[in-house]
Amino acid sequence: MAVSLLVLVIFIPNYLVDKESKFYIQHSSKIVLFGHSHPECAFNDTLISNFKNLSHSAESYFYTYQKIKKVLSQNPQIETVLIEYSNNQIDEKMNDWTWGYEYMSNMFPQYVSFMDKSDIDLLIDNNPKDLMNCMSISTRKNLIRLFTWNYDFSDGLGGYLRLNKVSKETNDAVSNKSANISSVNVEYLQKIIVYCHAQHKKVFLVRSPLHKKYEYLKNEKDFTRIRNEKFSDVDFLDFNKFPLNKEDFADYGHLNYSGSTKFSKWFNTMVNSGLLLNKNKQALIDKSLSDSISM
Amino acid sequence: MSESENRNKRRFWFWLSVLVNIGFLGVFKYYNFFAESFAAAALDLGVHVSPWTLKVILPVGISFYTFHGLSYVIDIYKNKIKAERNFIDYSFFVSFFPLLVAGPIERATHLLPQIKKERTFDYLKAADGLRQILWGFFKKAVIADQCSVYANMIFANSDHYPGSTLILGALFFTFQIYCDFSGYSDMALGIARLFGIELLRNFAFPYFSRDIAEFWRRWHISLSSWFRDYLYIPLGGSKGGIWMKIRNTIIIFLVSGFWHGANWTFIIWGLLNALFIMPSIIFNTNRNNLEIVAKGRSLPTIKEFFQMVLTFSLVVFAWIFFRANSLTHALSYIKRIFSRSTFSVPQMDVSGFEIMNTILLIIGFLIIEWNGRENQYAIATLGIFKKRSYRLAFYFTLILTIYLFMGREQQFIYFQF
Repeated sequence: MAVSLLVLVIFIPNYLVDKESKFYIQHSSKIVLFGHSHPECAFNDTLISNFKNLSHSAESYFYTYQKIKKVLSQNPQIETVLIEYSNNQIDEKMNDWTWGYEYMSNMFPQYVSFMDKSDIDLLIDNNPKDLMNCMSISTRKNLIRLFTWNYDFSDGLGGYLRLNKVSKETNDAVSNKSANISSVNVEYLQKIIVYCHAQHKKVFLVRSPLHKKYEYLKNEKDFTRIRNEKFSDVDFLDFNKFPLNKEDFADYGHLNYSGSTKFSKWFNTMVNSGLLLNKNKQALIDKSLSDSISM
Repeated sequence: MSESENRNKRRFWFWLSVLVNIGFLGVFKYYNFFAESFAAAALDLGVHVSPWTLKVILPVGISFYTFHGLSYVIDIYKNKIKAERNFIDYSFFVSFFPLLVAGPIERATHLLPQIKKERTFDYLKAADGLRQILWGFFKKAVIADQCSVYANMIFANSDHYPGSTLILGALFFTFQIYCDFSGYSDMALGIARLFGIELLRNFAFPYFSRDIAEFWRRWHISLSSWFRDYLYIPLGGSKGGIWMKIRNTIIIFLVSGFWHGANWTFIIWGLLNALFIMPSIIFNTNRNNLEIVAKGRSLPTIKEFFQMVLTFSLVVFAWIFFRANSLTHALSYIKRIFSRSTFSVPQMDVSGFEIMNTILLIIGFLIIEWNGRENQYAIATLGIFKKRSYRLAFYFTLILTIYLFMGREQQFIYFQF
């Protein structure tokens, strides 16, 4: 009986949170962006019309998938979904972001109520011990939601993060070591795209601007190969070469406020000029970038 | 040493054994402290010295099992016991796993006879052991770990919080250290009881003490009694007059502070406790409160209540030094407490709801401890006269609470010793 009661304490709040959860965003947001800290710092959505940045630091596609399912189902006004596809997101480091305790203990309680059995099985297979701890955290948080009748998740969805610091460039060479691929993260990106298509949303992969010394650029070949093999049917908007000075970066992977302002204003202009409707999107981007460089 | 009749030979083997044991402890735990302190002192005198420090990992629980082993050697030297010839029994005594990493510090006179005696499974003892394990686990996983989150947050950023928050931080640490250490001891005692072995009680509701002397009779009993029997009494104890008593008391608390860690903060903590206990030593009132407060009554008298509050306040004050990273940190922490900011509303970077949850948990915990203060541990006889279903419901509530709060990984803080 004690075991049954314990199970009830876990599953009833889970069920209620799933049923009552609110993922509403502003009604004017027609374009939404998901990803990790790169787009979180790059896209200042106050400078881009009808756009909502829902990126969150250290979010792997596993958790983005759970979030997208709720956001798209509760915000029918969304027409376009942008998903960050950056070099580090194919790296096996993403496995740690998915089931490493440091990350899982933050993300899992937020999204467990929306996971299905295959998602939970993945975590059980890879880190059962820490999953037990995370289930404790999630049960506690769900009970708090139950008692406070607070099912609003909009605060924890993510959003533009302003960084004020300026990177200090070093003379370190880009590492040459070969990287292993996170097949799980790639698989969940596929699931995201399939889901978005099923919801009749336009989907684009984007790569935020990166410093040329960004260490994960070392896997560019694998990055391109995987994109061509798995996501050839999805338009890829590559902003990696957006011209920025070293003072526009907080570090090699993240733009600071100055860099994000320049980039976001330009991106807004491009969107308003019909970038997302153009047949040759990357060519349009490249032309605009080369024009701005020559100026 | 055990077999030799020659006094000099016995003394030789005894001191050799003590030096080897203390030597290991000294090298692993204290060498770097002395080397760096020496270098710092030399620098103050204008002499630059580069200390050669050891890069060794401190073996977990070394302070505990060193004293555990020393008690065996000392008791043989004093002819309290004979040397154990059975290697298995001796190994059991030295390495009995529940008390290896954080005590209690057992005595050979207490544990060895139990090891040698035939033991059979006793259902009531096993049930009692499980009950004590459950209570210890609750104290550690719920109260201690919850408090540690806030204590760590506040101590790490003490410059940014008002004095009122720092008082909260000190209180959270006070409950963290008690529940962490006594929780671990409860689990050790409970596990041992499953094997039919009774270990020495280590905590007897110290935060209900009416004076500092009583506090030290109830806190980490195995250590304080070890110091009493193996250091205080051989130094002369209370027999040589008031100045000898004072000297010996200071030595005990100095060594006790040092035992806890190789940092000046622990030494100051020890000396503070010596200072607090001094009035009762001088006026011979240190044996005033031998029984638990309000024994046989539900509530304390007003006088007892204020005595407990005062004693508790002194203990909390001393814990600030114990917890702080350095003396400078401790002093700035205390300075901030005694500033105007103490009269502002406490601020923390967590929701008030979460803090209130923790405070309510602590209050509930204190009520249970108060109700069970006449037992070996708080829930030993809880609900014993009620229906079995009430007791089971209470145990289930404990288990559920443990499950809900176990989701933060914390180290047992006494493992650093």
